[in-house]
Amino acid sequence: MSAELRGVDAGLGTGLGAKPPARRAWKRFLSDRPLVVLGAVLVVLVLATAAIQPRYLSLPGLRNTLLLAAPLGIIAAGQTILMLTRGIDLSVAMTATAAAYVAGNQSPNGAGIAIVLALVVGCVTGAVNGVGVGVFRVNPLIMTLAMAGILLGLFTQWAQTVLQGSTSVAPFIKTIGAGAFLDRRIPWNLLIWGAVAFVVIWGLRRTGLGRMLYGVGDNPVAVRLAGVRSWQVLLAAYTISGLFAALGGILLAGQSGAVDLRLAQNLLLPSVAAAVIGGTSIFGGVGTYSGTILGALILSVLNAMLTFLNAGQAVKQVVYGMIVLALAWLYAAATRAE
Amino acid sequence: MTVAVAARAPAGIRHWLARYGWTVGVWLLLFLLIGWYATLIPSFGSFTIASIAKNSLPTVFLAIAQAVAVIAGGIDLGAGAMMVLANSVSARFMEGQAAGTTAVIAVGILAGAAILNGLVGWIIVRSRVPDIIVTLATLFVFSGVALMVLPAPGGGTSGGFRWIFTGSTSGIGTNFWPSLVALAVPTVLVALWLRRTSRGLSLYAVGSDPDAAYLSGVKTARAKITAYAVAGAFAALAGLAITAITATGDPRFTNASNGTLNSVAAVVLGGIALTGGVGSVVGAVAAGVILFVLYPILTAMSIDPNTAQVIRGVLIVAVMMAAGLLELRRRRTE
Repeated sequence: MSAELRGVDAGLGTGLGAKPPARRAWKRFLSDRPLVVLGAVLVVLVLATAAIQPRYLSLPGLRNTLLLAAPLGIIAAGQTILMLTRGIDLSVAMTATAAAYVAGNQSPNGAGIAIVLALVVGCVTGAVNGVGVGVFRVNPLIMTLAMAGILLGLFTQWAQTVLQGSTSVAPFIKTIGAGAFLDRRIPWNLLIWGAVAFVVIWGLRRTGLGRMLYGVGDNPVAVRLAGVRSWQVLLAAYTISGLFAALGGILLAGQSGAVDLRLAQNLLLPSVAAAVIGGTSIFGGVGTYSGTILGALILSVLNAMLTFLNAGQAVKQVVYGMIVLALAWLYAAATRAE
Repeated sequence: MTVAVAARAPAGIRHWLARYGWTVGVWLLLFLLIGWYATLIPSFGSFTIASIAKNSLPTVFLAIAQAVAVIAGGIDLGAGAMMVLANSVSARFMEGQAAGTTAVIAVGILAGAAILNGLVGWIIVRSRVPDIIVTLATLFVFSGVALMVLPAPGGGTSGGFRWIFTGSTSGIGTNFWPSLVALAVPTVLVALWLRRTSRGLSLYAVGSDPDAAYLSGVKTARAKITAYAVAGAFAALAGLAITAITATGDPRFTNASNGTLNSVAAVVLGGIALTGGVGSVVGAVAAGVILFVLYPILTAMSIDPNTAQVIRGVLIVAVMMAAGLLELRRRRTE
């Protein structure tokens, strides 16, 4: 698609040598160290927010942002992994909601059972997506959109029948979702996010599956000829995404204390946006989870800033869309093949 | 579906089936479903036809919008939001106006939507950010603007405007001809434009291979921008149809995301490849009507709406899986 268009224009366009050296150096820096630039954007946003609301630059203020960023960051981890394989998961929000709903419903049986069952819901949903995409070669967009519709239908119905009853979550889930330790300084969910981040970053770099995720997205044909069963890689990737979505959903349920069927719906597009801002390519094979983490943080700070500005939902959506577009444009301009 | 027949048929028919088989199949499925629906309800008359024709208009127009963008090698995730935006703007400004004024407003909205989405196409071409990311952003932006224009569901329109899409000034009636005309005319026009004009064909060229198109002298950037402009106009037409049918504007975000979802599903079911350059608008139109008709059919079978949603999702996946398996078999035999 536009990847090829890019190639043609780069070949036939005017020579890049005509550009002033300063601009080239800037571009070189940006494309070599995208994380530094993202970090700078994050710092500027934090300072701008502090300029609007001085109290933001304090421990509670920053802690709240991290608290809200963690579920988004965890859900976006699955999204990043799938985008590496040229996939996408548009069912993450519904999967998270479904998992949270099960967690709420099973809370009277104890937090352990509730969490395990919620994670099972995520894994099953992800595995079904994986079978559809990996084995039957259904387009990921269609497969996961349809899955979101199916889940919404099922759970709307089940909410009145088999899953009737408790909609508030167990105290333990509330603690890991909203509580903090070390004199209420560090949120528990940040610890979970940290663990997820370690596993994902290490896994993508150091394990066979991690390398294969990049391979399947970078060059599916070469990977197939090398003897990789890509359907197994895809099945694993979608199951992991479902699992992370469920984990994010549980933390979200802990934050709000109660579950409903719209719990995570506002996290779908941000989860994609976080990965995109972080430099993960929708065409597969390129990206890191470190970038996604910064993307999730940037989006959360932005959200805090807009809240301080008393912006309504409408303004938030417009600004949000503009920022995603602007950062994606900046990124594309910087990393364009020379 | 058509593989077994095609193996024995002469080359001409085989070629025809390979090219139009899916489209014909989708239309047959649509008529089968409507026929089945006729046996499910006590009386199948002009009221039922009018109801199906007018209520499927938004889905169909949005399917056409998505089809044009996808054929040109893009995807417009913002189409649903453009629909909601047109719906909100029209309902807000058409309230209490005379029929003539509402028609002028409608034309203005269509032109504005075409320019706005053309701008989106320009951004995609210029920035080289993937279509899916840019239109994801416009999904946010357009639905945000819709909320600014019309903060809560409301607004209205004129009886004359309602007649254009529904065949009745109250929106409910047995006169199905205006709805059918509103369904057929844009479909035929855009199908002919895509297949019979050089500008339309350039969309297929860009969608199937942008490099080859560029090297053959197709103005690729212009084709892409045109595709998005046309898609924007059709998404706005879907919004206007909603205003005519319901006489209100509804700016909620779920309408936008559901609209986009349905349009992508309709395009894929209609036999248009998401990779671009393959398929026809005619198939997407039938798929759009099918996606709508499933609801009244499942209601007639006294299945509750939530189960209906599950069944619809499972059907979409099942069809796509079947198509995937057929594709795999075809590749192995070749």
